[in-house]
Amino acid sequence: MGRSSRILWMVTSLAIGLVCSATAAFAETMYVQAKTAQLRAGKTSLDAVVASVKFGDSLEVVGRDGAWVEVKTSVGARGWIYNNKLSSTKPSGSSDALAKLGQSMRGGDASATTASAGARGLDKASEGYANRTGISPKDREAVDRMTSYQIPDQEVEDFLREGGLGEYAK
Amino acid sequence: MRGGSVNMRNKTIILAAMVGLALSLGSCAEVQRAAEGAARQSGNPRLANVIHGTGSVVSSLLPIGYEEESSIGQAIALQVIARYGGTVDQPELLRYVNLVGRAVANTSDRPDIAYRFAILEDNSINAFAAPAGYIFVTRGLLRQVHNEAELAAVLGHEIAHVSQKHILDVIQRSKRLAGVTEAGMAYANANPAAFKSIIDGAVKKLLDEGLDQDKETEADALGDEFAARVGYDAAAYLTLLGRLRELKGDDRAFFKTHPNFSSRIQAVQQTIQAKNLKATGLLLPDRFGKYAKKV
Repeated sequence: MGRSSRILWMVTSLAIGLVCSATAAFAETMYVQAKTAQLRAGKTSLDAVVASVKFGDSLEVVGRDGAWVEVKTSVGARGWIYNNKLSSTKPSGSSDALAKLGQSMRGGDASATTASAGARGLDKASEGYANRTGISPKDREAVDRMTSYQIPDQEVEDFLREGGLGEYAK
Repeated sequence: MRGGSVNMRNKTIILAAMVGLALSLGSCAEVQRAAEGAARQSGNPRLANVIHGTGSVVSSLLPIGYEEESSIGQAIALQVIARYGGTVDQPELLRYVNLVGRAVANTSDRPDIAYRFAILEDNSINAFAAPAGYIFVTRGLLRQVHNEAELAAVLGHEIAHVSQKHILDVIQRSKRLAGVTEAGMAYANANPAAFKSIIDGAVKKLLDEGLDQDKETEADALGDEFAARVGYDAAAYLTLLGRLRELKGDDRAFFKTHPNFSSRIQAVQQTIQAKNLKATGLLLPDRFGKYAKKV
């Protein structure tokens, strides 16, 4: 390789490097601001689902068209997502790092703080509170029923579709 | 004096290192125990006590975790249901209210916890939110609502109280006032009397005094935004607030915990403009009527 071709090679590499870093610097990142969301093959709710994402996932914005945003996931899946499920700032939610830190300092099990639906029964502290305040069995049962009340996500999605809400807007 | 200042400096360094390590590693209990043990072994029980006490204070200043929030939510929910005549047993209506609530909660600012909605067997007009997503509307309030978009905004307001942890702020303050530094469920289980007094204080604030005006204003703005994100007409909430403002007689008891309606309406109008929330025309009165006609 001659001297001039070495210089050309270096200049080309530098140019490619600059373009790449500029692209990386300007790539817009958005976050999933919904419990779950689907990426679709096209810009309508009728298009096939190509990937599922969840609360807090970071997505690289590739393009926009009206209320739909084309994005790429960290594992390379690409599709369209309705813009009401995106936020430009990283959401903290209940997995807030400080809250978890507090839990661990108090000697609690941080892994037990995961918000799970459908836990049954009053826990020890609220049961004790019910005993101390003379809450009736009927009212305890009402809180118990409320705690375990669940509607599958798919039924909520069907409800949105039926009402023409969210990405199902007509 | 010189020895004292070195001693103070050592304390400061150890404490700073402890808090720094704790914050970076997240295994604070271990770090704290190790620092406390080291201080004791080096023949400095006073420093060991300082480290022990500082751990508790730092711990009580940190936000309440979900496990504790859930217990607090359940305990407050027990009182709300007891004081408001129990819950309505109409499965279809209950499912409908939960579907609207879940639709709004799923794209709220805190969609990753379980939200449950119940209807209180009470003719007064009110709605409440307890921590960890326990949300209540009275039968009386449902009677004032004319369509699904209005219901979505009401539930959005309550979801915003949960997402912004408004009641937890009240609890956090009460705990500090009560001198509870050993936070978390350990304290609640070990000292049920303190837990009761803290819950009773929060219930009084929620049901009798009402939350501070700035929290209500924030919940109005965010709640309407959450409902608008789903596609509901953002102006529907204004219509409902306007209707409630005109209430007469006994119905006005509602204003005891929700005062200054005119300023709230004005603030919601400003939010709609500032955030460019759309009057989509999506009110869904028929679907609401189908489920809520027997309220």
